[in-house]
Amino acid sequence: MSNIIQFNNICKDFKISVRKKGIKNALIGFFKREHKTIEALKNVSFEIEEGDIVGYIGPNGAGKSTTIKIMSGILTPTSGSCSILGFTPWKDRKQYVSNIGVVFGQRSQLWWDVPIIDSFELLKDIYKIPNKEYEETLNELIETLNLKELLNRPLRQLSLGQKMKCELAGSLLHRPKILFLDEPTIGLDAVTKLAVRDFIKEINKKWGTTIILTTHDMSDIDALTNKIILIGRGQILYKGSFSAIKHKYDRIKQIEVEFKEKYDKIEFDGYEVISHNQNMAVLKNLPETTFNTKDFINEISKKYEVVDFSVKSISVDEILAQLYTELKL
Amino acid sequence: MNAYSGLFKMTFKGELQYRAKAISGMTTQLFWGIMYIYLYTAFMGGKIIEGFSVSQMASYIWLGQAFFVLRYVELPKKCGKEIENGDVCYKFVRPVDLYNQWFFEHLGYKLSATLLRFLPITVVAFLLPKSIGLSAPVSFTAFLLFLISLLIGAVLMSALSMIVVYLTFKTMSPKGTSTIVQTISGLLGGFFIPLPLMPQAVQTILNYLPFRYIADLPLRIYIGNIGVQSALMYIGISLLWLIGLVVIGKLLLKNALKKTVIQGG
Repeated sequence: MSNIIQFNNICKDFKISVRKKGIKNALIGFFKREHKTIEALKNVSFEIEEGDIVGYIGPNGAGKSTTIKIMSGILTPTSGSCSILGFTPWKDRKQYVSNIGVVFGQRSQLWWDVPIIDSFELLKDIYKIPNKEYEETLNELIETLNLKELLNRPLRQLSLGQKMKCELAGSLLHRPKILFLDEPTIGLDAVTKLAVRDFIKEINKKWGTTIILTTHDMSDIDALTNKIILIGRGQILYKGSFSAIKHKYDRIKQIEVEFKEKYDKIEFDGYEVISHNQNMAVLKNLPETTFNTKDFINEISKKYEVVDFSVKSISVDEILAQLYTELKL
Repeated sequence: MNAYSGLFKMTFKGELQYRAKAISGMTTQLFWGIMYIYLYTAFMGGKIIEGFSVSQMASYIWLGQAFFVLRYVELPKKCGKEIENGDVCYKFVRPVDLYNQWFFEHLGYKLSATLLRFLPITVVAFLLPKSIGLSAPVSFTAFLLFLISLLIGAVLMSALSMIVVYLTFKTMSPKGTSTIVQTISGLLGGFFIPLPLMPQAVQTILNYLPFRYIADLPLRIYIGNIGVQSALMYIGISLLWLIGLVVIGKLLLKNALKKTVIQGG
């Protein structure tokens, strides 16, 4: 497979004006502004292959949206080069954008006060989609996303979930080669979230669309992506498969132990005590300890009288939280 | 159909959804029309000022109210919100020129708002007594030239509005920018005070600015205050303004977009 997106040493600085607190400083600031440069992206390089679903993740303010905006031709980077489908997004904007679709989870591209179908028709004109192709794509999207009932209602009357489905359909009418999704599942209920995920997978499979998504919902990443790019403080920290990271942290187990009596203090070699309340305690194995049920129960029984215990692998969310702390993000 | 006529149609459809808005707008304009006419009738004291009679004044005011929406420069309707909250980024990801997207959306909005309002006001104004009502155009040629200059004026208004878009990108204050521009363009264009009532020297200066070609010229042609020959000359000048302002607007916007920061994450 060939690289469809090539990002080379992209930097993006923002100049912001600094405002100090208090009336006096506000008055001074009215006449004299101090500026500070913020480096939103520092030498970001990566490549994405055709047909991939890539999760672009990182904590708030890491530079995710900035990257998406550079990739979709909205922002011009301060330095660096980028080639997507052979275009430089911010230079060849007009030709380039007819090959991509973008959904910003918190914004809307459809028109507020007219029926959805009218918005779609306008997008058809904007992207110059031939009639036959438009009909075909639209029917396919209506079927997969179950949109039939929504088409004749104006956007303002739709729920968040219905809106997201329509936004997704709108961004795919012109069958883009690349789809950028900026937090597509934000605020959605469980059922809609699953529907959106299934849809994204299906589009990727059926049309071979390359999909880049940012999200804070780690189950999205788990369910959808085969690769992740982890960014923090404007720098790329990890590129590769998500299962490798998961595997690394899979060894960490949380063990909830119930004791027969109340102990003042619980201490156990190779394990960290996360919480302790009367006769209950939650332990976690230290990175150098390999958890083994039999050994664990043998050892701990020597020291304390155990009534019951349960073992839990840490969740995907916790893995990421751990990763963020380790990388000091 | 092409993208621009599509955008144009879309705004039109959007505007058609709001009936109450159109009705209340018309009521307000009827009220203002009558108020202005009594005010200037008192002011003129039955005299003809520089070839501008009281009944011409009444027609001027009524036409002005009927085509009210086309006569003032403002920030395109959704543009301020888009820039403030960052929704503007969707405009960038469409294979259409950014300037043209706003331009046609705005023109569509203004024309549709006008189409929904002008007819009832015109009819009511025609039915009023001649001294305070709307009279017929002086000649068929004048009427034709009135229509032409009205349309050119509308497009010119859109071009000026695009400069407001640029200013909004710069100041990040949609409301403030729009209010200032609306007031200045209104005052210099004859929106508040009919231009024939202004001192000759001021009128000469205003000839060199674009504003009067939007709000004043069509009305003066209709009432015969400007003859056919001068009308043609002025229409020519407004076309020159149109070309110049579109070019300037496009350059300014291009410059502003290079430094764009999208607000709100």
